[in-house]
Amino acid sequence: MMPVEQTIHTLTPAISIRNLNFYYGKAIALKNINLDIIKGKVTAFIGPSGCGKSTLLRTINRMYDLYPGQRADGELLVGGVNILAKGVDTIALRAQVGMVFQKPTPFPMSIYDNIAFGVSMHEKLSRNQMDDRVEWALSKAALWDEVKDKLNKPGTGLSGGQQQRLCIARGVAVKPQVLLLDEPTSALDPISTMRIEELIHELKQEFTIAIVTHNMQQAARVSDYTAYMYLGEMVEYGNTDEIFIKPQDKRTEDYITGRMG
Amino acid sequence: MNLRTQRKIINAIALVLSMSAMAFGLFWLVWILWMVIDLGVGALSFTLFTENTPPPGSAGGLKNAIVGSGIMVGLAMLLATPVAILAGIYLAEYGKRTVLGQVTRFVNDILLSAPSIVIGLFVYAIYVANVGKFSGMSGIVALALLVLPVVVRTTEDMLALVPNALREAAFALGAPKWKVILLITLRSAKTGVITGILLALARISGETAPLLFTALSNQFWSLDLSEPMANLPVTIYKFAMSPFADWQQLAWAGVFIITMGVLLLNILARVVFRQTKAQH
Repeated sequence: MMPVEQTIHTLTPAISIRNLNFYYGKAIALKNINLDIIKGKVTAFIGPSGCGKSTLLRTINRMYDLYPGQRADGELLVGGVNILAKGVDTIALRAQVGMVFQKPTPFPMSIYDNIAFGVSMHEKLSRNQMDDRVEWALSKAALWDEVKDKLNKPGTGLSGGQQQRLCIARGVAVKPQVLLLDEPTSALDPISTMRIEELIHELKQEFTIAIVTHNMQQAARVSDYTAYMYLGEMVEYGNTDEIFIKPQDKRTEDYITGRMG
Repeated sequence: MNLRTQRKIINAIALVLSMSAMAFGLFWLVWILWMVIDLGVGALSFTLFTENTPPPGSAGGLKNAIVGSGIMVGLAMLLATPVAILAGIYLAEYGKRTVLGQVTRFVNDILLSAPSIVIGLFVYAIYVANVGKFSGMSGIVALALLVLPVVVRTTEDMLALVPNALREAAFALGAPKWKVILLITLRSAKTGVITGILLALARISGETAPLLFTALSNQFWSLDLSEPMANLPVTIYKFAMSPFADWQQLAWAGVFIITMGVLLLNILARVVFRQTKAQH
């Protein structure tokens, strides 16, 4: 595990996690997590259901704030600021750290407004600037050509795969530094999944991406680094190739070879 | 008998039972509607809308009662709906598990099932008895109190149906809570909330008991909210119970107007929703 950590440590982290614990009421869900999410790279989180990978993702944008009884301690540095500290502006945090969820969740409004919604929370743009931003975001999400003639149609009328790309465009439009993808393709067919994976490759030019996935081939295909989690612990973290070809930990090996999970 | 035929027989029995239950329900509904139309249409005339309620034995219409009902129902909706929607938002989005929320929900449910005559007496005791006379305003208050729990309940229920994933998605974009509620959750639940408002409107359009103790009635044309106000339900009640044939005629006309009004309102609402849905 040591050589892997050394290579990762020489790179610039977008997010640094130190001694992170997470609790659902009294139950502990994350135990002493330490890890750096590297800037401009794709980091995949894999592990069996309930291992805490989604919880970890939801900690990074303080999504757990919405639910009483959920809390985290330790340090989680985004841009050098500990976002777990009291008095952190979660609205500003979420402008920096965007999130796409498992199921596509288009808002009950037009495609255009779906994109503009998040942008208007953080920036005052003229109509022209907003038009440009919407086109830019939809192009980034490889959706522009399909929807440019129906921007005023409701987002709910798109297909599942298009809806998910709309959700990615929505997140991208805010221009965050980090995009969190929580099983973004688990509700999609193989073709839509492939398009989203291609998209992830494109997006990492500009954004740091953290993706939770149940699909190990997907993790191997899209990520530069992979973290294997089990029962709330970070078992192994390193270059994706090394994790999949010669995992150091027996538990990782069992999981990726399909003996467990 | 094999499983297949057994299943088919059970299916047939269930179908017959549910069909006859539906027929039983529809039978009364159609009978009521038929009677309203049969006796109501005959009583219709142009003067219904141009003349006030007459003394027995002379010609007249229901103008003052129709206008009075319209004013009281309209203002009661205007008074109660905003408060009720805000309360429903509180219950669904803010006070879901708080003690205040639970107490509010419980009290609201009691109010929801309170007989309307109790509401009428309540407003009589706190308003009419203190002011010393029946008035249109007290009628509005009584009707508003009937609207309140219906709209609170439907608003809360409809907001609760909005999937949490949608809220989370909006929060994840850095939207503050009030914007999430106003632009996302409330908008998703819009159709249901409006249906609740229309249900409440339909309910108070025909309420007689709360108006008997508050607005009472008025033989004459009056738009003064501090005076007793004519309205359709009490006029129908008074005229239908009277021994005078022409008053009974007018009562049927009134029943027809209320029924058709509520029916039209429902149809209109459905058409409007279908159009907004088609756009989606």
